[in-house]
Formats: sequence, structure tokens, C-alpha cells
Amino acid sequence: MIAQIGLSILLAGVLVYAWTEYRRAPVISVLSMLVATAGLYFVWLPNHATKLAALVGIGRGVDLIIYVWVVISLILLLNLHLKLRSQAELITVLTREIALANARMAEPRK
Amino acid sequence: MSSKQPKKPDARLVWIVVAAFNEAAVIGPIVSDLVRRGYRVVVVDDGSHDATGQIALSAGAAVVTHPVNLGQGAALQTGIKFALQQSAAYVVTFDADGQHRPADIARLIDALVDHDAAYALGSRFLGSSRGMPPGRRLLLQAAIWLTRVMTGLRLTDTHNGLRAMTREGAGRIALRQNRMAHASELLEQIAATGLSHVEVPVTIDYTRYSLGKGQRFSDSLAILFDLSAQKLHR
Repeated sequence: MIAQIGLSILLAGVLVYAWTEYRRAPVISVLSMLVATAGLYFVWLPNHATKLAALVGIGRGVDLIIYVWVVISLILLLNLHLKLRSQAELITVLTREIALANARMAEPRK
Repeated sequence: MSSKQPKKPDARLVWIVVAAFNEAAVIGPIVSDLVRRGYRVVVVDDGSHDATGQIALSAGAAVVTHPVNLGQGAALQTGIKFALQQSAAYVVTFDADGQHRPADIARLIDALVDHDAAYALGSRFLGSSRGMPPGRRLLLQAAIWLTRVMTGLRLTDTHNGLRAMTREGAGRIALRQNRMAHASELLEQIAATGLSHVEVPVTIDYTRYSLGKGQRFSDSLAILFDLSAQKLHR
């Protein structure tokens, strides 16, 4: 029960975070929300997880949940990468403006 | 197409954008040659650690310096923006490593005028290339095929840094891919504008210097990753 509550809080956190990211990265956001919702469902209904796990050829429901968790981590990692790219774009804009403001015109030919 | 002969544009209306990172060894003669032909030249010094900027300036180019290294795509976009600020009628992108021939520029500009096109793209496969390694040829063919699938553009050469565009065409380009993926991004943007383009045969001279600066197989994987990543965020 304690583990279920802990995991639920974490997954709810992921869900909220994914929702706030929707405007910036819709694809990643929707993916995270789907996976987090699936995680919440299986945490509270482990029997269903076990059935589904058997169906797709994974030994136990717990294993399935671990795999789901790994997938969430990877998606969050990708999201972090995309955030870094957005930062890089901002730096590019700034650098460009600085460069253009300090342009040096050709020296007169001797 | 038209009965009257179109007027050849004044070379001083043509701005050549050269993105350069640590090219002090070769940039001087390249800029001098371009300036001698009457073109205006802007060298975007992309955070070089050597004297690239000063040498280019002495050779007669305007120099715009990125305080930090951003990549060729970012440098080209900066150069294009600068050229437009300087009232360029035509903007040409030209590699700093000496593999392009300045004589080909006039043919690109002529093609823009003759075909009333917004973009003239250099093609080494319509023209010629000397000393191209077989591995490079294979990689370029794969890129051509991929471009066809992704943009619908039927081109014979997709990663040629020698291109010319009209002022209108240049104004519609906004590169976000800072590094090597900009070549594919540029073609995507050209396809999206709906403006006309023409391919022009050009000659590429592969030298040990230019091959050393060229792309490797791992770079093409990085390009694919960059292009996919950009589709996932705003």
C-alpha cells in the first residue's frame, strides 16, 4: 500500500509536469501523459498488469510496471534534450544580434 | 521563355556569405578572389580561435563575428541577415574551405535571372567534382533520396554549399538548425515557400583540406537526429 501511494504521487507528478509542457512539446507531453496514466492504472490494479504482462509475454505485472517506468524516464530525458535545444536557440538569437551589432565593414583597399 | 534578354545584375548587388570557423589558412585568397570579381563579401567568423576574421577583413570582406562557435547553419543565417540589412539584391552562400569556384557564382546569378527563379542551387552531379571519394558519393546519394521523400524536391545534389537566392528568397529563409542539418532544413524551407528554384551545374574541387573539414558518416546520423528532434518541439 505504501509503495502504491508513493508511486501514485510520483506518477501524478509526471502527469502534471507533462500537462504543463503541452504548449512547448505537444508530442512528448501527450506521450508522457498516456504512459503515466497507464502507470497509475496498473499500480492500483496489479492483477490487470499481470494479465497484460502475460498477454505480451512479460513474466510478472511488476516487471511490466518497471518497464513502463523506464519508458517514462526515457521520454523525460528526451524532453530535457528538447529543452536544451530551445535554450540553444535562444543563445543563437542573442549571439546573432551581438554579432550583427558589432559588424566590421571591409577595410579600404590599399 | 521571354523574348527580350534579361539584364545582367551588377556584381555589387550580390553579397557572398562565407561561414568560416578556423579558416585562417585559406580564407584570405578566397575573399580576395571574390572581391576582385566585384562582389560584396561578408565572412561570418563563427567564433574562430585563429585570425580568420582579421585576415578576411584585410582581404576586403565585411566581418561579422559570433562571440561563441554556433555552427555553419547559424553562421549562414547570420550572414544572410547581414546581407539583407545591407540591401543585397542577391545572396550567395559559399564555402570557406576552397572547394567552390568563384567563377560559378555568375552562372548561379544568371540562372536566377534567366529562369526568374528565387533560388539557384549548385549541383556537382550536373557539373563535375574532382577527387570525390566513393564513400562520400554514396552518402550524398542517400541524402538526395531522403530529401526527395521528405520535401518532394527532385534535386540531383542536396548538400552543396554553393547556392544563390534573390532578396525575396533569402528573406523567406530562417534556419534554426545551427549545425550540419541546416542544408536539409534549407531545402525544406525552399519547398515550403513555393517559390521556384533551379539547379545549376557547378564544379567541386575536393582537396585534402576540404575533405578534412567535410562530413563523416557519424555526422549524417547526427543530422537525422537533429531533423527529427526539431519536429518534436517549437
